[in-house]
Parts: sequence; structure tokens; C-alpha cells
Amino acid sequence: MAKDKKSVGDKDGKKFSRRDFLVVGGTALAGGALAGYPAKTTATEKENEYAPSTAYLVYDSKHCAGCYSCMLACSLVHEGETNLSLSRIQVHRAVLKKYPFDIEINVCRQCPVPLCVENCPTGACHISVENGNIRMIDSEKCIGCRTCIESCPYIPHRPIWNPVTEKAMKCDLCTDAPYYNKQGGVNGTQACVEACVANALKVVRELPDQTDISGYDRDLQPPRKAMPGFPFGPPKAKSKSETSPDTL
Amino acid sequence: MATPGFAGKILLVNLTNKEIRALDTEKYEQYGGGQGTGTALFWEYCVVPGDWDLQDAFHPKNMVALMTGAVSGTGVPRGARTSVSGLSPQCYPIQWFGHSNFGGMFSTFLKMAGWDGVAVIGRAESPVYINIVDDKVTLEDAKALWGLNSWECQEEIWKRSGIRYGQEWQEIDGRYTLQRPAIVTIGPAGENMTRVASLIHGGGSGAGQGGFGGVFGSKNLKAIAVVGTKGIKIADPKGLKDIEVWYEKNWPSGPGFGGFGPPSVQSACIGCGQFRKCHNRDRAHSQDSDDCAESTFFSLMPEYGIDREAITPINQKGTDIVQQLGINAMETCFMGPMSFDTDHNPDFPIQPKVPAYTALGWYMKKMYDMGVIGPGTKYDMAPLNMKDFATQEFMEIYGLALAKRYGIGDLLAEGTARFAEKLGRTDDFNTLCRLTMWGYQDHWSMPGVDWAYGNLMDSRDINSHDMSFGNPSGGFGGFGGGGKEWTCEDFVKVQAERTTYNDPFWFDFSWEGKQAYKTGVFSKHKAEFVAWRMHYWTYYKESVGFCDWGYAQLFSRSHPKGYGHTPEAEPRYLNAVTGRNHTFEDGLEIGRRAWNLKRAIFTLQGRHKQMENFAGYMYRPGASYCGFSPELPIYDGKKWEWQNCRELFLTREGVDQWKTHFYDIEGWDKDTGYPKRRTLEKLGMKHVADFLKSKNKLG
Ligand code: SF4
Ligand code: SF4
Repeated sequence: MAKDKKSVGDKDGKKFSRRDFLVVGGTALAGGALAGYPAKTTATEKENEYAPSTAYLVYDSKHCAGCYSCMLACSLVHEGETNLSLSRIQVHRAVLKKYPFDIEINVCRQCPVPLCVENCPTGACHISVENGNIRMIDSEKCIGCRTCIESCPYIPHRPIWNPVTEKAMKCDLCTDAPYYNKQGGVNGTQACVEACVANALKVVRELPDQTDISGYDRDLQPPRKAMPGFPFGPPKAKSKSETSPDTL
Repeated sequence: MATPGFAGKILLVNLTNKEIRALDTEKYEQYGGGQGTGTALFWEYCVVPGDWDLQDAFHPKNMVALMTGAVSGTGVPRGARTSVSGLSPQCYPIQWFGHSNFGGMFSTFLKMAGWDGVAVIGRAESPVYINIVDDKVTLEDAKALWGLNSWECQEEIWKRSGIRYGQEWQEIDGRYTLQRPAIVTIGPAGENMTRVASLIHGGGSGAGQGGFGGVFGSKNLKAIAVVGTKGIKIADPKGLKDIEVWYEKNWPSGPGFGGFGPPSVQSACIGCGQFRKCHNRDRAHSQDSDDCAESTFFSLMPEYGIDREAITPINQKGTDIVQQLGINAMETCFMGPMSFDTDHNPDFPIQPKVPAYTALGWYMKKMYDMGVIGPGTKYDMAPLNMKDFATQEFMEIYGLALAKRYGIGDLLAEGTARFAEKLGRTDDFNTLCRLTMWGYQDHWSMPGVDWAYGNLMDSRDINSHDMSFGNPSGGFGGFGGGGKEWTCEDFVKVQAERTTYNDPFWFDFSWEGKQAYKTGVFSKHKAEFVAWRMHYWTYYKESVGFCDWGYAQLFSRSHPKGYGHTPEAEPRYLNAVTGRNHTFEDGLEIGRRAWNLKRAIFTLQGRHKQMENFAGYMYRPGASYCGFSPELPIYDGKKWEWQNCRELFLTREGVDQWKTHFYDIEGWDKDTGYPKRRTLEKLGMKHVADFLKSKNKLG
């Protein structure tokens, strides 16, 4: 799937920047998924064609606990079941790697130049003006051709495949979450953000810096509260006489 | 159709004849999932055939069952445990049917592959691992994995899985995942069938108690790896999500306790959502590690000045060794006389003749210092060089010797109780070793008493931290933030109310004179509470999968009325997941069923009332010195008050009296402790009664 993608982005997807993409992508993808995409188009020209999203999901991979609660919540509110494969946010732990390389978080970036939207042949993947310009998939119109998935320049791709409905889906900031009792979307709350007790997810208004991974992956921690010590509070100083060595 | 929350089938693997079967979960739901289901499977596949004597945990006919509960993988906070059960090689003198559990991702991944559990019997001819990819289950050659430590083994299986971290989605029959398999494995300690071997999952989630690593080893089973791409059906998804709001409103500062050591970036079991420093990412003792037990491994406190909560190279290394070799840290550690009273109650230093918590490493050193082992004795210390004691090098060699049964390690690998027995020093159980029951180290069983009674009636250290009975103004019961001061009477009332049985005397810790028999620690009230607690524990924790660090919770300062989340949270979560309409008491009843089935297994293994006695030190002053929570509620016949119970100890007559009450409440014969026909039939287990009858073991 999406074999040509590797020639587009940096292998881990992390260092990929919009500028790189437009330069490299313009040539590498010519004749591929983006046939006809003019190699010389400048970033600004292309960007102006798409209204920017009014909200972005950002994350803090250095403080994420790797609990996957966000994934369970995402699939729960959208699909009515918990399913790691059907979560539109993807966290992946490699518990034996050293911190902070032990956790990867992949979210939809609501790209300024959304290739998923650009390449969808039916208009199912679209910019939803009534929902704050987020990039959404209208499942009624989706014919399951996977073009949006294959067009996503990031690894792993952010739109995902639902093998049951045989359609693509992507993060909609919980705009259309049938099992969510709350108002989702750009002006509402999001199930994943709510589920995260590590404060590692947040929806922001301004377009994150596109040139560096830290645009989306940033420190989201509030000023730290002291955790209670164990078992009775902060350790007290030990006096020698209190510490009785052994015995018999 | 499987009940929502359950995957619907259980995997049964016979390694002897390579048979792989799918059993219907529904048949076992009456036992509650998790340990309850593991017990029912053991009964069906290991007891009923009647073709072995149920004595040897390393016998190929033993079963090791890894079972999940209804809430695993559903995002219900603190619900991710995987239960492990089977005959346990660590128990002494009889290798009782035992159990353990571990956190992490395994239970969820198993369910997402479509399995509620995996039970393994038989013995493979040569090393294998069980590979589960959704419905596809294969036995894979593990010759090349044998000898690897638990981390290397996982890395190797990940490589074989073809799924790469941080790379593209992996297709599995038209479905996709980014997750590498969840793996539970053994290290050398399990391969060499030591009695102190754990199962290790991830960096440091482990099932230590019972010694199930050795059972894997005896079966030539190196690991179980699972990856799943399916979902878990939830009966009421909206309702489940709404519980978060309800919970947050009532218990804003969260449940239970947690936390060791300095601040850290936390990690957690899957879906936890209420973690509190039980695991961490950046503290390199160690990745994904529960620092509690592991960091005790080389805690030579206080003599050698190594602080178990400090981040020092020696602690880090110690923790890593425990995970990699797959050793039960708590059993083998070097923690010498430890007592929280040294820190917290200077008025009550450890009583000289009875040290508190001690373990194998510490005991070995003691034996060496006393000249029982080492030069001039028949026990050579090689490969340990005792001159290097307290160095990292020594620790590493100790770990390896133990795990690989080198030299003196061969003796140590039998665990503290059998090591002492070999030295002809079983009297040490009462003094130096402080083994409360069944070969297990003292833990915080006293002065809480009901923990100790739980150990006595079960087969292990029940390791049940939900004893929120201490004075909340200063003690362990003070879960949650600030709030008002609690009078003893009000506190007891709240606890009693939250059990749903409303008997304040369940919480009376009177231990002297007549009151001890009337309402205190030897009374019917205490027996009723212990029965409640064991039924609760068997179902809600060991079978449903709720974590001990959050459940039960009868009292919480974070609630305006002092209410803990028990008994509301448990059925609320469970019903939202399963769509059943179970009450809290329905759950206790399921727990009672599984508990009685386990009792029937104990009975067939040789359990008798006469065996159910504590080690002698429990009947002497000093019995409570390793515990904390000394301020306990005492009723003097007229009023309640907090009293420091650090001096609490039991009497033989009192415990006998308590047992009579307990057997009566459980419906067990008062002279033998065998379950009665009426009891079993009422629980829908006529077949169990008939079987016991055929063996002359019916009460
Ligand atoms: S915002 Fe909503 S749709 Fe997007 S990842 Fe979070 S839960 Fe899923
Ligand atoms: S809920 Fe938060 S802490 Fe847990 S995996 Fe998701 S982002 Fe990380």
C-alpha cells in the first residue's frame, strides 16, 4: 500500500516538512497519485486554494503515558466498540526503547495542503466549511478506493481503512461521533483529549509550525503538581536511632 | 453471540499433542472470567480426568491459564490485568492451586485478537512459543529463543512478526494494525524451572507470585505472542463514556494510591486512565516497570545505605536484571528487616527478636554470616564471592546463579522456604524468614488481620492493598486530598455502609480480652468481613481484572461524604460494558462460586483445617511490626476510638474460633474445612460436590 510514499517523506515521517514535500513531492509524485500536479507550483499558491482548518490536534509525546486510552475512546465514540485498529489517533509504544524514543503518536495534521482532499475522486474527503474547515470524509460518498489513504504523505498514513464498512475514515475532531454524548468538533470537546489524564493531547486554534515535528509534538504540561509520596507523604529524614538494623 | 465485553472464545493449547482448540466463553461466564474461568478450566481439564495427584506444578498435566476479564481493553480505568492460574511451584509445603496477575497490554491484545484467554496444558518436546494473530494460532519453534532473556526474546519475536515500530500499517487479512505483538515470556529463571520465576511482559509487567515462569519452563513454552485487529463490543458505549464524567465529579482526585520515588514521566497499563506513578517511562529502573517490587531486589537497606527509591545505577541494574532474567523480585530480594515504622513511628522500633519483611537474598547472607553455609560447611558459595557483597557485580552473579541454577544458585532457586528446609532450619520460618503462610514472605498482612486471614484461607500472599482502615488523618486510609477530620465512629460507619452489609464491627480491630471474640479480630464479624473480602477479590479483582491499586475502595477523602467508589463503580462499569444488569452483590456471588471451586481443588490437594495455621511468630508480640497503618478502629464495648495497633498479635485459640466462624459462613465443615454439598449445590456446582464425594472429601 502507498509504496511511492517512501520516496516522498523522510522514512520516519518525523522530519518531513511542508517545504520538503512541495519540492520533492512535486517531482516525485508527478505521474503517480498526483498526476498533473504542476511541479513548479509554489507552496503559497497551492495553500491559498485550501481554507486552513480552524483547529488542530497536537500532542506531547514526551509526557504521554502510552496508555492508549485515547485510542480506545476514539474508536468507542465513533464505532461503538473499542478497537485499536479503528482509532483515528495512533499511539505506539516500544517499551524496550529508551525514553523518549519509546512512544510514537500519529495524528491527522489537518494539513494546509490536504492531499487526501485533493486526490479524492468523489469529493468524499473534503474541507468541511460548516465544521471549521476540518478535513473530513463523508462516508456516504466514499467509494472505498483508498486514494486518500495512499495520498497522505505521512508514515504511517493518517486516514485509516475500516475493513467492515470498506471505507476510509479520518480524524474529524469528533464532529461526527455517533456514540459520543457530547458536542464534538472544533467548538466542542474531543473524546481522546478528554480521555487523556497525562495532558498529552490538546486542540489548538492556530496552524502549528509545519517545518518541524515540534509544531505538533510539544510540551503541553501545566505547571506540575506534586504527587503524593508513598505511603504517607514526602519522606521524612531518618535519624540513626530510628533505623534499627537487624536483630537476631 | 458472546456477551459484550467478552471476545467469545478461549484458546486451549495442548503442547503434548499440539492440539489447538477454541472453547466457548459463555459456558464459563458464571465463574466471572479471569481467575474464576481459570479455576473452572483447571477443574475440567486437570481435576476431573483424575489421572494425576495434583501435587507437582511441573507435571505436564498442570495447566497454566492466562485469562482476561470483561473490562480489559474497554477503557475502563484500572482494568487491564491478565490473570494467571494453575498449580504453583512456589507454594510450600504443598504446591497449591495458585494464581498471579500482570498488567500492561496483554489482556487487551488477546481480546482484540478474539480470545478471552489462553490455557496451556501438556509439554512440548522442544521449546516452542504460541503465536496468535487474530484467529490464527500456531506453535512456533523457539529453540533459537531458548536461553534469551525476556527482553531479547521479545525483540526477536517482534522482528519475526514483521511489524516495525514507527513504520507503515501492517496488513493482516485485509485488516490493519500499527501495533507489534504483546508478548508474555520467561527468562532463564523460568527455563531452568526455578520456583522463583516470573512471567514477564513488556519492560516490566510481570506475574511473580506463584512461580509460573517455572511452569512455562516445565512445558518448554518460551512465550505467548499476540496481536489482534478486532474490536471489543461494548453494550452501552455512550453510557460507558459518561461514567468518566460521573467519576470525575465524585472523586476529583482519583482513586486509590500509587507512587514510588521521585517525580517521573508516568506510563500505564492499557486504558488505565487513572494511573498514579505505578509505572514510568523515564526512570530507568526501568522502562514500563512497576518500581514497587522490582526495586526491592537489591535494596540492602538499611545496613548498606542503598535506598530503594533512589535512582542509582545499582537500583537500575537490579530492576533490569529482575525483568530480564524473569525472577520474582519480592521473593529473592535483599531487603533486610524492613519496616515502615522505622520511618514513621519512631516510638515502635522493630522488636529485636522478630525482624520484619525479609527475603531470600537477605536470608542467604544471614546464613553465610552465621556460618551455616560457606567455608567449612557442605555448602560452597560458588559462584558468589561474598567479599563483593553489596556490589553490582555481586548482584549480577547472584541473579544469574539463581536463574541458571549455578552452584549455590541451585539451592536458592528453590525459594526461601525450601532453601531453609534444605539447611534443616524450618524454625527460621518463625524468626529470620518470617514466612506467614505457605512459604510466602510476610507482607503487610498485619495488623490489618484480614490480609493475614486471606493468606491463610488462600494459597499465597493475597497482596491485597485495599485495606483502607487506617485513620484517614494520618494513615493509609487517607486516600485523596484534604477534607475534614474523621472521627473513628463516622469513618467506620462509612466503610460499613459501602460494603452494602452495614456492619461496623467488620472494622473492629479489638484484639485483647473478650471484645476480641465479641466484635474484634476473632469474632464472627471479622470472619464475615474476610469472606466478603475474598469474594470481592476473587471476582472484581482477580476475575474481572480490576487493579488492586484502585479496588476496592470503601473510603475516600476526596468524596464529601467520605464514600469510596466501591460499591458503585464496579457494577456501573461492568454493566455498561456487558449490558447485564448485575448488582454489586451479584458479583460477590460469582466470586463466592469461584472461591468455593478453588476450595474444592485445595481440598483434593490435601488442604485440611489442621493445616490452616499461621507461623508461630504471628502469635507473639512483634507480629505486626512489618505492617503499617497502625491506627486502627477499636470498639471497647461502648465507643469507637483510634488506637495504635502496632502491638497487635493473634492467639491460637482466637484464630481457631475465627476459623470456626469462617467455615460456618462459607458453608464448609467445621472439623475438616471441606466444602459441604449444600454449599456447592446452592452455587450451581453439584458436579463438584459429586466429585468430592467420590474422593471422600465432601464436608
Ligand atoms: S479528535 Fe476525535 S476523531 Fe480525532 S483522534 Fe481524537 S477522538 Fe479520534
Ligand atoms: S491517552 Fe494520553 S497518555 Fe494515554 S496514550 Fe493517549 S496521548 Fe498518551
